[in-house]
Amino acid sequence: MAARDDQPRPLAPAPATGDLLTQVARGDEAAFVKLYDELAPRVYGLCRRIVRDPAQAEEVAQEALVEVWRTAGRYDPAKGSASAWVLTIAHRRAVDRVRAEQASTDRERRVATEEVPYDDVVEQATARLERQQVRRCLQGLTDLQREAITLAYYRGYSYREVADLLGAGLPTVKTRMRDGLIRLRDCLGVSFA
Amino acid sequence: MSDDIHTLAGPYALDAVDDLERARFDRHLATCDSCAQEVAELRETATRLADATEVTPPARLKEAVLAEVARTPQARRARAARGGEARWRRWTAAAVAAGIVAIGAAAATYVVEDQRVHDAQAQAAQVTSILDAPDAVVRTGDLAGGRVTVVLSASLNKGVAVVQGLPDPGTGKAYQLWLIKDRQPQNAGVLGAGASGGARVFSDVQGADQFGVSHEKAGGAGTPTTPLVGSVNL
Repeated sequence: MAARDDQPRPLAPAPATGDLLTQVARGDEAAFVKLYDELAPRVYGLCRRIVRDPAQAEEVAQEALVEVWRTAGRYDPAKGSASAWVLTIAHRRAVDRVRAEQASTDRERRVATEEVPYDDVVEQATARLERQQVRRCLQGLTDLQREAITLAYYRGYSYREVADLLGAGLPTVKTRMRDGLIRLRDCLGVSFA
Repeated sequence: MSDDIHTLAGPYALDAVDDLERARFDRHLATCDSCAQEVAELRETATRLADATEVTPPARLKEAVLAEVARTPQARRARAARGGEARWRRWTAAAVAAGIVAIGAAAATYVVEDQRVHDAQAQAAQVTSILDAPDAVVRTGDLAGGRVTVVLSASLNKGVAVVQGLPDPGTGKAYQLWLIKDRQPQNAGVLGAGASGGARVFSDVQGADQFGVSHEKAGGAGTPTTPLVGSVNL
């Protein structure tokens, strides 16, 4: 793939983040502060996008960041970049939070009656998105691939819920999530060797 | 089975699976190097979606995180000497324990009222052994508006069921789980009174062809006293 000048970030995971995480694993609080400065905007932004309620999002972001501190020794560079490791922790916690909420409220019905689910956070994020390659690559997906991936990643829906929401079969949704991610991966030039 | 589980690569990378599916998939990954590579790439890709969400957090978040970090001990490092199999077991135990705790939070009563924490841990260990069995079979189904996941091991003659999201059973009522063998229901555990979900480990699973749930008075019954609210073929 040819190099593009609109790329906001280097394609390879920044080695510095991995080094910071290794230092954090040794109990280095100063390294943790640097790691926080680098990743907290994405951790917090992701939690807000998924959890939506700002107070709860802050709580989830805090839990996730403290978990990063606590379990930094388990990060294995052979399995992925440090930022992916941190954001995976945050994503999972945010998803757990919305699913727990779902147990006490009828989330499906709420979605059905909800206006287009874009709040100010999403608009803010969309503005950034426009400047980023991610958006261009998302636009390159089929509608079903894009909706399946964004409903799961940004809203925390399980693939079963996504299938319900989109009126598509389970095998189709599973396949679209996978081949959509593969297409995104190729578009973004993500590699992990 | 292996092809079937592999179709979860996309949902797994997006965290769009439930806890048992995640545990199953982790196990699959431990035995499939090319899958591990693919999933690592799909995860990296999914993570790039977070780039688009970047928002400057309030300053108090940093203060709160750093204050908590200052008083939080770090978990001990995983011992490197252990092999892949042991690693998988640890992952599964953690995933299942997390699942049980998550279900507890969702059902509001499960861990706190219905089980003591050490019971949940003992159960997690049992669940792990069932998921770990080479012949473990997973069945999932929709049931009365909720979800049920059943994992059976014929060699251990044990099974585990996780039920989530059933309608509120009402005060003094509970859901009871049944293994059905040739139309004969056999008790597989009673969920907590008023609980809309929970996890139960049961034994004597050989010959079971269906798994069902009935609505009973708290504490359960010897045989279902009402028609099953739903069932899943095993």
